[in-house]
This record gives sequence, C-alpha cells and structure tokens, in this order.
Amino acid sequence: MQRDRVAPLRAAPRVAEPAKGTVEVARDRWSNALGRSKPLGRVGKVALTFAIVSGLITHGYHLFDYPLYNTDEGIYVERAWSLIRESRLSPQTYFYDHAPGGWVILAFWEFVLPGHFEAFGNPVNGGRVLMLLLHVGSVFLLFEIARKLSGGLLAPVIATFLFNFSPLAIYYQRMVLLDNMMVFWVLLSIYLILRRESRIFTGLWSGLSLGLAVITKENAIFFAPTIFYLLSRRFRGDPNRDFALMFWLFAATTPILIYFLFATLKGELLPPSLDFSLSRTPQGHVSLLYEFWFQIHRNQGNLFHHTHHSYLYTMWLPKDGFLLAAGTAAMVISLYVGWRERERDPGLLVAGTLAFEIAFYLARGSVILDFYVIPLIPLFALNIGLVADRAKRRLPAHTSRVAVPVAVACLASVLMLDPSGAYFITRGQHHQLKLADVYYLPLTYLQREQIAWVRRHIPTSDKIITDEDIWVSLHDIRPYYPYAQSHWNAASDPQVRNNIFHTNWRNIDYFVLSNGMKYAMNLNNTAGQEGWMLYALNYHSTKVWQASRGNVKLAIYRVLK
Amino acid sequence: MARDLIYAILLLVSFLVTLQSGHTLYLTLYTWNQPRSQASAPETFRAPGLSFTVMLPCRHEESVIQATMGRVAGANYPSKLIQVLVVCSADDSGTIGKAEEKIDALRREGKENVSLVVFHDGPVNKPHALNCALPHAANDVITIFDAEDDLHGEIFNVVNTIMLDERVKIVQAGVQLMDIDSSWYSALNVLEYFFWFKSRLHYHARLGAIPLGGNTVFFDRALIANVGGWDEHNLTEDADLGLRLSAAGERTRVVYDDRYVTREETPPTLAHFIRQRTRWNQGFIQTLHKGAWRNLPTRKQRWLAWYTLAFPQAQAFLAIYVPFSLVTMLAFKAPVLVALISYLPVVMLLAHFLTAVVGLHEFSSAHELEVSLRTVVRLAVAWFPYQIVLSYAALRAVRRQARGVTNWEKTQHVGAHRAPLRDRAIEQVNDNAA
Repeated sequence: MQRDRVAPLRAAPRVAEPAKGTVEVARDRWSNALGRSKPLGRVGKVALTFAIVSGLITHGYHLFDYPLYNTDEGIYVERAWSLIRESRLSPQTYFYDHAPGGWVILAFWEFVLPGHFEAFGNPVNGGRVLMLLLHVGSVFLLFEIARKLSGGLLAPVIATFLFNFSPLAIYYQRMVLLDNMMVFWVLLSIYLILRRESRIFTGLWSGLSLGLAVITKENAIFFAPTIFYLLSRRFRGDPNRDFALMFWLFAATTPILIYFLFATLKGELLPPSLDFSLSRTPQGHVSLLYEFWFQIHRNQGNLFHHTHHSYLYTMWLPKDGFLLAAGTAAMVISLYVGWRERERDPGLLVAGTLAFEIAFYLARGSVILDFYVIPLIPLFALNIGLVADRAKRRLPAHTSRVAVPVAVACLASVLMLDPSGAYFITRGQHHQLKLADVYYLPLTYLQREQIAWVRRHIPTSDKIITDEDIWVSLHDIRPYYPYAQSHWNAASDPQVRNNIFHTNWRNIDYFVLSNGMKYAMNLNNTAGQEGWMLYALNYHSTKVWQASRGNVKLAIYRVLK
Repeated sequence: MARDLIYAILLLVSFLVTLQSGHTLYLTLYTWNQPRSQASAPETFRAPGLSFTVMLPCRHEESVIQATMGRVAGANYPSKLIQVLVVCSADDSGTIGKAEEKIDALRREGKENVSLVVFHDGPVNKPHALNCALPHAANDVITIFDAEDDLHGEIFNVVNTIMLDERVKIVQAGVQLMDIDSSWYSALNVLEYFFWFKSRLHYHARLGAIPLGGNTVFFDRALIANVGGWDEHNLTEDADLGLRLSAAGERTRVVYDDRYVTREETPPTLAHFIRQRTRWNQGFIQTLHKGAWRNLPTRKQRWLAWYTLAFPQAQAFLAIYVPFSLVTMLAFKAPVLVALISYLPVVMLLAHFLTAVVGLHEFSSAHELEVSLRTVVRLAVAWFPYQIVLSYAALRAVRRQARGVTNWEKTQHVGAHRAPLRDRAIEQVNDNAA
C-alpha cells in the first residue's frame, strides 16, 4: 500500500445528525476554569509547604500531653483493640451507636504499627499519631480546595492558617475522634471533584470517599447535597456527566448499603417485634434501625441557650471566638454572594452551603457533644479564606498587592500574639503571659500516674468501674484487668451489667475516675441506671489516690463492703 | 474442617470474581476515561487515495444480501477504488442466485465493480470463504462485511483518512447492534456491542493485543498474505488473526464513532443467540489452546490475551459456581464477615447494571432512539437471566470443545436492524453524498 498519496483535506459531510454522545459540548466556563486551574508555582509550593509543616508542628508538638485522654477517644481505641484482638466490633455489645468505618481504619493503623497499641506509649497515643497524619492530609486537601475554588493563593493561605493555628482546632483535632477521620474523607471527596483531571471515575472515587465518610461518622451525610451539586456543576456539558453522576451515587451508597447488609446478616436490622417504642429499651437484641430511630429523636435543648450545658459558650467560644464569629459572617456572605453568582462561579455557594449544612446540624437541637464542632472548623476557615479573596478582588490591583499581605500578616500577628486570642500566648491564673495551653499544659501524665497506681495496688481479679480512656491500657498491657469496665457499659450493656456486676454495688471493688466521669455518671442517671454505682461511690467508698491539675481532678476510690 | 474449606473457597472465589468484575468494569468504560480524540473519527476527510476490496462472505443470506451489496456499491467513494467480492459456497444456490441478480442490476446502473466468487471445496465456513476470495483481491486494503451489515456510506473515507494520516495498516471500525426492543435480551446484547467496540477494543489496541472483530475491519492486503490468511479451523478466525497480527508487531487503530458504525441485528431467537455465543466462546478457547498469543512480545500483552481468551472458561466455571453459592447461602450460616465478602460480587453486579442503564441512555441518545420505560424495566428484569444465558453458552462451548465438536453454528439474519424509515434515510443520504 502506498502511504504517500496524501490528498487535500475536505470536510466530512454531515451524513447523519451528529450523535449527542460524541460531540464535544462546550463545558460551562466555571468547569473549564477549574480544569485549567493554574499550576501551583513557586510561591504556591512555599505556601503549601508552610501550611503542611505548620500543621505538623501545631498539632504534633505536645500531642501526647494535651488534651486529657477523652472518653470517646478511649471508646474508639477500645473498639479498634477489639477488632484486632477479638475480631469483634466492640468488646461489649455493639449497639450501632456509630458505623464502624472509623475504628476499622484505626485498627488497621494500630495493626501495622510495630508494637501495635503500645507503639507510642499509652494506647491512645497511637490513635493520636494517626489523627496527626490525617490532619496533614486534610491541610493539603483544604489548601487545594480553597485554591481551586478561588483561583488564587490568598484563600488557601488563610484557610489553612486558621485550620492549623486555631486553638479550637488544635484541641479537638488532636483527639482520636471519628469526626476528624470523617473530615478527611469529606475533604478528599470534594478535592477529587476539583482535581485538574476530571474523568469518568472521578465520580466513583469522590462518591466512595463520601460513603466512607458516612460510615465513619454519619453526619457526613449532611454534605452529600452540596458535593453532588459540585460534581454536577463540574461535569456540566461534559459527555461523561451521566456516568460520573451514576458512579458517584453508586459509590457513595455502597458503603452504607454494606453497613445495612452487615446488620441484616446479623439479624439486627429491625428491633424485636418491630417495636420502635422510645419509652423502653428493646429486649432481645440490638437493632440498627431502632438505634437510628432513637438517635434522631434525641433532644438536648438549644445550643444558643446561655447555660452551662451549652458547649458554644462553655467550650467553643472561649477557645476561639474569632473563628466562630468570622466564620459565621463569612458563611452568610458566601451564601448570599454565592447564590447571586451561582451560574458564573458556584465556588462561594459550595463553601457556604457546606458550612451551613453542618451548622444547621449543630443548631437543630439534637444531642450535641463538644467535639461535634470539628467539621465546622475547616469549613469556616474555608469560607473566611474565600470571602477574604473576594474582598481582595474588589481592591485595585496595585492596592491589593501591598495591602493584602500586610493585612494578612497583621491579622495573623494579632491572633498569635494577643493573649485574648490564645492562638499562641495567653494569660495564666496570675495574669502572667504564657504559652497557650495546647503547647504548654501537660495533662495526660495524670492518667499515666493513675494507671501506674492501679497496677501497683489493685489485684487483677478485682472488679473496677472506670472510664473508657484507660480501658485499653488495662486490657492490653500486662498485667491485664479483665474486670475493669466503663460505667457506661456497667449501666447499660446487659453483658457487663448482669454477668460481671449483677447490678449490685457490692460487686464493685474500685472506682478509677476523673471529675468528668463523675459528672457524666450523674448526667447518665436519668432513668437510675447508674444509681447502684453512684450509691457505692457516694456512700460506701474511700478515696485512696488523687491527683489534679487546674480543674482536672483524677481519683481512685476503694469500695468498702 | 469441611465448613472451613467451603468458607475458604467462598472467600477466594468472591475476591477473584470481584476483582475480575472491577477490571471488566474498567475496560467497559476505558474509552470514557480517555481523551475523546483518541477514539473518534476524523472530522475532515482526505480525498480518496486508497483502494478497497470488500469481501462479503455469505451462507444462506438470500433475504439480506442484495441490500448489503447495494449499500457497498453505493458507498460514497469512487467505484473505481472499490472492488466487491461476494463469496458463496457452490451449494448455496439461493444466495448465488440473488447475488447474480443484484450484480446484473448494478451493471445495468453502470457499476462494474461487483463480482461473485464461488468455492466448491470445504470446509464451508467464513474463514475458508475469505481465503478463497483472497487471491481475487486486487486493491490496497481488504475489508470484510457480513451479509446483513448496514455499513455507513462514508466508512471508506473515514478509513482512507485514518490509514493515510496515522500510517496504520489495520483499522477496526465500530460495529453496532441496533434493535434494542426486538427481544427480551436484545437491549443487553446491544449494550455488549456498544461497550466492546466503543471502549474495550481501544484498550486492547493500546496494549497491542487485540482480538479483531469479524467485520468492518480493514487490513493492508500484504499483511493478510504475509500471515497466511485466515485460520479455517478456528471458530473466531477474526480474533485469532488479530492476535497473530499483534504478535507480528502490527499496530491497530480502533475507531468507534456513533455516526459511522456498521449496523447489525441481534440474533432473532434465544436459540440462535446461544449458538452464536457458543461459537464465539469456543473460538476463544480454540485460540487460547492454539497459542499464537504466546508470541506476543510483552508479558502484559500475553496476560491480556490470555485473560480475554480464557474468559469463557471462567464464565463456564461461574455457571457451576452459582448453584454452589446458592446452596451455601441456604444451607450454611456463615460468619458475618465471610457472608459480607461473598456479597461483594453482587455489589459489582449492581455497578455493571447501573453502567448498562447509563450506557443505554448514551446509546439511544447517540442514535436518536426512543428508550421507553418498558425497555429499562425489561433491562432490569432480564439482567440476571441474561447472565445465566451467557454462562450457559460458555458451559456449552467448553463441552463442545471437550467433545471435539467444532462445526460452525450459523446465526440467522432477518434484517431486524433495518428499520424502513432509517433505511430509507441512510440510502437517501448515501445517494445525496454520491
């Protein structure tokens, strides 16, 4: 065959209507802009490196000392322990309070660590190292999301600065909490959609990330509408749109369906006799749908009521009022401006609705724990960054070139150096200047001393009521304390309550507790389920050890029978 | 112990099937995941430069052969650059009569480029017919169309441009079943073609291990002569030839453009469908055993060829495994983790089904076909039975091969894809273009 018979070109005749699926339909401008987003560049790389290194330092320094090991951290480490040591989702009855995605990953992490739970000393520390790594990953994702949505570097710099340096962020993000893992998956889901290369499996991976987020912490489902909207906007006018949307829906729902399948296979999907009554606990077996039903009917008053129960006033605002106030304002601006600009550039609307979804979840009046604020932190930071970027664009170019870096530097300096901000320095009890608690105050040594006292003085056969935070220490490190159980399980898990303690205070030998645990016992005694333990603690026990630092008080009581 | 063994088998098979299913899904959507320009036809054509010999092997195709001859002869390409060879066995007097009739009619229209090749020896099958026609082929490029094919009038311009621009000697153009509503399985069969030609073949071409299709495939004539023509004892001589040419280092360009596909019909009855699928499966098994794929230069190419050719046997195994799986489901209360993992293939099945639904939407949009709700519902209902039919055909192929039964089970063609209106429209367009 001759190859050199090259003839002039002529246009292919329109022999049939062009097929819709094969014709390149121009994507909308926003999709195109994202697809062609500028490379990071030298300044961008420096900014990203700073964000990652500062995140590593702020969260990594003092990681094992502050804050105090929390009950929920103990619960998830305990469940990861159970997965590795007992091939079960929980050492006690697993009652579907949370989907297990988070501690499955934690168990995998602990499993690959040399020394497993003891790789970093206290078993909770291993989990905290995982949180640190996830935080670093989240910093990268947040930086890139802010950069893609704004098209510049101001928004990612501001967002990651707040995400890394906010005392509120550091306090909660160091803890081994499902919310921290969920945030990583949610940010990954968003990032995958905004990546430079968007192909057919983009939807699959993004959906899978969100699905994993949901089976890590269920409230991630609140982000689903916005992420789906983002995906549909990203693929608007793209011939692969249908496949991308389908794969997103499929992948997002698959982990959730598998969770439901798990409950079905265990015969625990529905409650016994289909009894969804909230007035009494179902007898026979636990149920996923009953627990779900129970959770959505829980109510704990209003977040905005000025009481000592409101974490907004007692925990969040004292730790970082600036982030919450500026974040709320930025969210409102994002929603307003974003709605007006949604056709041209939905970036602000996406950021605003993401923050609004979780803010709505917190404000709606259900049961709130203090660390539920975690997902709000990166989203408020994102909104602040995007709104600042938008404000910058309104300035004349020559003004913004000088004024913006100066303003950012001033704000960062004020936050870091003003003691009232407590980002870096704060005032002590005697008004002296000192480093912020997150970098200075050691607390977990109290728990280490408590555990050491237990090992020196309490026989391993004794029955101990304790909190979850030291549970794995007492069960994974020799000598083991097989009868050390948390007050939560002694109150409500029939396996523990009936088989170990028989609901009788005389079967308790010791209480190993903190003032926080005693408070929780009283709070959890609404139906008298902790009464038999409180009776022993209040009337038949004597304090044999105590330690305190500030308002944290730990103690050990021996029960006198 | 026995129980543990069953659980181990269950886990192993579930993992493997999930893995295979995920990989198949990736191949199914391979093209959609690539830059679009790599798969589509050129938007501008070169002036005709290459000459083509079109082979039309026929066997009892009285009802469709004349229309196909008319289409080839009427293609929008200079007649002098096209030679048409209708190839029949001497005992097929019906088709011969119809072909001669059409040749006369074309000659009366001044089209002298169509002739008949009749062979008297055996075996009476397609590869033998092609080998008989090969000495009569006089042009640069040899191409094959089946008797029922609705080729597009511009297909020669498309291939002429690609071959000259991209300097390739093999072009596989798209073949597409069109009748989504003709039977309970037709939509699924249509989608198989859609994904195979539009996507998976591109992956094979990129890796250089491609089982070519039986028609709308274009070869440099010298290539065919160099490899000794088609294997007359292979039921998928097309796939075999593709792998032999790949082993010889020849690059193939796959072009699937919805505008230029060759239209075909699904087999008219389930029995015909099973026979056709059995033939393909058996042909793959024959090609696997023949071992020409072992000459492929890289391990990746050999792996892909082996994986593709061995699939019918895996499918046959699945046909046996499914009842086993059902029995274990009913008879054993497996640990929850084992049960969960054994459900993973079902999740993948769901992914494939959803892909099919979106694929149906894409296909119908591309070809401006109406898809009724009934079609979608039928797709869903027919999904699992269709998988069982495929497994049965695979099992049947394995059994035939084991027994040494290698005769050609012919697929009947009734022209269901030739909707009168569309047919007229295409003819009109071709006439206009000519």
